[in-house]
Amino acid sequence: MKSDAAALTNKPKPVNKSFFKKEKLGKLTPYLFILPWIIGFLAFTLGPLVFSLIISFFDWPIIGDFKFVGLQNYKTMFTEDPLFWHSFGVTVKFASILVPLNITIALSLALLLNQKVKGQSFFKTVFYLPGVISGVALAMIWSWVFNSEYGILNYFLSLIGIRGPDWLGDPKWSLGAMIIASLWGQGSMMLIFLAGLKNIPTEMYEAAEIDGANSIKKFFRITLPLLTPTILFNLIMSIIGAFQQLTLALVLTGGGPMKSTYFYAMYVYNNAFKYFHMGYASANAWFMFIIILFLTALVFKSSSMWVYYESEVKKSK
Amino acid sequence: MRIMKMIVSLLIVALLLITTSCSSSDVGDTADKEKVTLRFATWDSGDALKIQQEIAKKFEEQNPGVKVQVEAYADGFDQKLVASFGAKNPPDVMYMWDFPTYHVSLEPLDDYIAKSSELNIDDIYSGLFNYSSINGKIYGIPAGFTSHVIYYNKDLFDAAGLEYPKAGWTWDDLRKMAKNLTDKNKKQYGFAVPGSPDPYDFEQFVWSNGSSYISPDGKTIEGYMNSKETKEVVKMFVDMLRERTALKLGGDISGSKTFKSNKLAMYESGIWPLNGIKEAKINFGVAPLPSFGRNKPACSVLSVSAVAMAKDSKNKDLAWEFIKFYAAEEAIKMRTADLPIRKSIVKEMNYENDPIFASFYKMLETTDKRTPAFLLHPNWKDIQKYLEDAFEKCFEGYKQNPDVDKIFDEAAKQASKEL
Repeated sequence: MKSDAAALTNKPKPVNKSFFKKEKLGKLTPYLFILPWIIGFLAFTLGPLVFSLIISFFDWPIIGDFKFVGLQNYKTMFTEDPLFWHSFGVTVKFASILVPLNITIALSLALLLNQKVKGQSFFKTVFYLPGVISGVALAMIWSWVFNSEYGILNYFLSLIGIRGPDWLGDPKWSLGAMIIASLWGQGSMMLIFLAGLKNIPTEMYEAAEIDGANSIKKFFRITLPLLTPTILFNLIMSIIGAFQQLTLALVLTGGGPMKSTYFYAMYVYNNAFKYFHMGYASANAWFMFIIILFLTALVFKSSSMWVYYESEVKKSK
Repeated sequence: MRIMKMIVSLLIVALLLITTSCSSSDVGDTADKEKVTLRFATWDSGDALKIQQEIAKKFEEQNPGVKVQVEAYADGFDQKLVASFGAKNPPDVMYMWDFPTYHVSLEPLDDYIAKSSELNIDDIYSGLFNYSSINGKIYGIPAGFTSHVIYYNKDLFDAAGLEYPKAGWTWDDLRKMAKNLTDKNKKQYGFAVPGSPDPYDFEQFVWSNGSSYISPDGKTIEGYMNSKETKEVVKMFVDMLRERTALKLGGDISGSKTFKSNKLAMYESGIWPLNGIKEAKINFGVAPLPSFGRNKPACSVLSVSAVAMAKDSKNKDLAWEFIKFYAAEEAIKMRTADLPIRKSIVKEMNYENDPIFASFYKMLETTDKRTPAFLLHPNWKDIQKYLEDAFEKCFEGYKQNPDVDKIFDEAAKQASKEL
């Protein structure tokens, strides 16, 4: 076998005498195989992306003609639309509370699953299960949970003598309710953390134990530093997810009460599909894209200060 | 080897292309040859959708060779419809209410109406056409409608020893009744006010008090949206919320649900909750909307389901036949989710003396000369945002004792910029 392969590769290349340029077409073949994906990408991702960038400089009510307005859409949203700043503020507030909670809880669950206890795979399944339900179905479930009169959450609160608030009807609580509901789908993030934890070599812990480190020290000196690349990944995914949150608000509150859950994504959605200002909504969406890009870049830039790669240390030694 | 691979892959691609193109042309051919397909879009779902499908089936029976494709857009109606117009592939016929947005893409129907005496247009309540006309042109034929009334719970009235509300009553009467019908211990309320009302529905109260959101020529907001009369209406509802004689609706508190559990004595709405209330076996009555005093007649806004035709339809004659069928006696009688639009049918069914339906038709009479703000200005949807905010600040935030004057003056100022 081995000699055959060697013989094949050593064989002189046949001179190309045919009309077709075999070499060139040969290079094309792999692309033909991924052609369906390329077509899908061009038609449903890149195409609409470019289109939305272009129409962000137009006024387009869908029914009716395109009207070029230059930078007017961007100007309007920064200077004349109070709802733009409001919805942006709601989203920033939501993200800045949700993201740290998200990371902490997912990490805690992963740490629990990393313990050597019986029934680990059972717990893994149970913790992951909520992540399987998604989107509107999840939001519907939460609308029952949060119901102020008949909801299970307020029922449990009443058992310990607390009269639960009107979660979705009170502007003071609605954003909190959104955050609680968003914390539900921890499954995938938890699994990524768990994979990161499993990757940490046990020798390190053994060495630390010999040196007399207790479990708290082991966590902060070994586990956490070696987990920082995983935290970086989850942090970025969590930020993006938080900024794009729409379903919950759309189904649970419709942005209310008093616009307390009027997320930026909802603002974009309403401008596009309620008021039919497609150009303006595209400008909104591109602003969001730039903000997320900026935040992601910021996290990446800062990562050199707190993310710890084992390989780098080895090199520096 | 390479040539083989290449040939195989090319064959696969060719095969894919052939199969897809074949299948699509097949479908097109058979449909064209055997049947003409008429696309009809509706926002109905559930039981109301079934009615539409049955009407469409009847039309198919009477027009052999025609297939009516009922497209149920449900809650996504506007999004789907606007996308289909944007893609230049709209349904031939569709339910329509938002004529200011869509009329540029709709077929004016005046010529068709003039040619079709069998439509007997004088038999249709003329006030309904007010809602489907733009700049004097008719773009939709009404198929069903509802006006607004007050549902009241007879058991609760009896328990409180109160007389039932009847035509000619006033908001003062309603407030007094509400006070007597409220029982905090039982979580029972006299009336209900939506925390963030749809401005479209709310305008009827403003009309009843002698004002409107915008001037009749659609050019002035200042002095209308923030008129003394508008503010009075808002203040009255805020007061009722603050006195705890009215329940704030919204979030998970629904008016029809509360009414159906005997915890709400009076509930303002259209025909939508009627069947549910009947099914819940509530001992209820229906009264016309109260007025703001002797010289101010109570007005109701209408919700009209009209049927319209797309300008780009390829089967306009057939589409018109379908629209006519929708407004004809047979189809109207099949509709049980809203009210008949024809005087002859109302007379035949004796709705004008019916204890439930009489109030709806009484309210219909009041609405002839009133045009909702959204038909008076092409940008009303944008203007309305400020009004929505103002309502929400007053009603959702009633506990903070909102400054109604200031809130509505500010709303009118902001809204005027959009004119």
